[in-house]
Amino acid sequence: MNKIFITGIIVVSLITIGIGDMIIEHDTWDLIHGTIVSTLCLSCIKLDPVSRLEFVFETGTGEEHPEFVLENLTTGIIFIEYRSDVCKACDDMAPIIKEIFNLKFEKEDTLYKRVDYLDTIVNFYHINLDHATQIQKDSFSIYDKDQVGGVPMFVVITVKYDRGIIKPCYTNAYGTLGKETDAERKEMVEGLIEDGLTLYEQNSEGYQYP
Amino acid sequence: MNLRFKRLISQFFFFFLTNLGLKIENVFPGIKTGFCYPFFYCHACPSASAACPLRAIEIGVYDGKWNWRLILYPILLISFVGVISGRAVCGWACPIGLIQRVTGKVAKKLKKKYSLVGKIGQLRIEPYLRYLKYFIFIGLVIITPIFIGFMFTDLCPIGYLVGTIPISILNPGSFSPNEFFFIAMGVFILFIILIFLVERGWCRYFCPIGAMLAPFNKISMYKVSVNKDECIHCNICSNEACPMGIDVPNMDRDPECILCGKCVEACPKKIISFERV
Repeated sequence: MNKIFITGIIVVSLITIGIGDMIIEHDTWDLIHGTIVSTLCLSCIKLDPVSRLEFVFETGTGEEHPEFVLENLTTGIIFIEYRSDVCKACDDMAPIIKEIFNLKFEKEDTLYKRVDYLDTIVNFYHINLDHATQIQKDSFSIYDKDQVGGVPMFVVITVKYDRGIIKPCYTNAYGTLGKETDAERKEMVEGLIEDGLTLYEQNSEGYQYP
Repeated sequence: MNLRFKRLISQFFFFFLTNLGLKIENVFPGIKTGFCYPFFYCHACPSASAACPLRAIEIGVYDGKWNWRLILYPILLISFVGVISGRAVCGWACPIGLIQRVTGKVAKKLKKKYSLVGKIGQLRIEPYLRYLKYFIFIGLVIITPIFIGFMFTDLCPIGYLVGTIPISILNPGSFSPNEFFFIAMGVFILFIILIFLVERGWCRYFCPIGAMLAPFNKISMYKVSVNKDECIHCNICSNEACPMGIDVPNMDRDPECILCGKCVEACPKKIISFERV
């Protein structure tokens, strides 16, 4: 038999073992699926999602708000920053978020902190989708209002009056928020938080944890 | 069934598999897998069923944090395909190859009609331009993500074609251009001009996946072979058939050969054939 053919067979066998090992032993299939295929690549499409900043009741998937959100809403508004390990816009936005809340953390960290912001409580979550728990990962699509699937995504959850009942409502913004400078981005995030706080002040007394 | 038709069926079959991720409300949920395409296609396409291998490599090396799983997985998949069939996927499976099959016909006509267009493929520097794809692969896919950022995906014309355009049409008003949008649009326009002027222009000069697959032509189990003793040097295979502009009678496992079989069909002496080593 030809040398090239035998070499080919050996190489193909080794590669097959390698691929099999990566898929079966190292969850590479899930890694590719979760990190690349299921996440909208904003770099690939050269577009940023337009953030519609109205507070809405209906979640992105139609599911209920997660338990950790409902529970913490009794103390203050919720701010969630979703990101992934590899994401340039997330890296651009991270220092702004840290500055606003006066926090220090690494991008791989999944963090919850009750922060004092303008003399009110903000429940701050930093959720890295590559390291988060399943409940936290699921919450990403729940708050992905427009089902964009892109990161970073910033969510403000507060409470608002809806036909006789005070219910949780939220808004979200994506990427670098369509703003050019860090100052504009910071101003926009602060604006979002303050809108959430205003709604909370007006309605929180009527909110009951289910 | 002639080779041309078999290849067309194969290209459509792979085009269908590539786009199995298409979600149709209440009819088909769309299949999104953890697979990497062994050819050029963008996972940002709303109907994509797998990942772009280049994006996996980019993320794997990003910021100098070497994620070996993301780097090795696409490389191993492409190596697997390469060892078996060399660059045959470019000719038989790649959806961008399918697009260039159509534009190639226009390129051929233009080449006959305007001598200037014909001269593009005969420039003295043309063989050297083919090395561009290796520089793009190493420079934009591997090096820039380590030090600067995602230069390749930020500018990729295929992402623009199958990602940006369909997403903008399907979600009017939901997205706004980012800082790379207009540069990428320029690259995309150049890409379109290129594939209408030079047959398989993208595969020849720019495709980084082609660059990954090309060396495997040297050791692949399938190749195109020419019986040089019986060749009458009519050059129909090179001048009229080969979409990659290869000197077919003198080739021996040419890294540019995409095993499309056009030369096999065109040879009047029938001395060119596919061969399994």
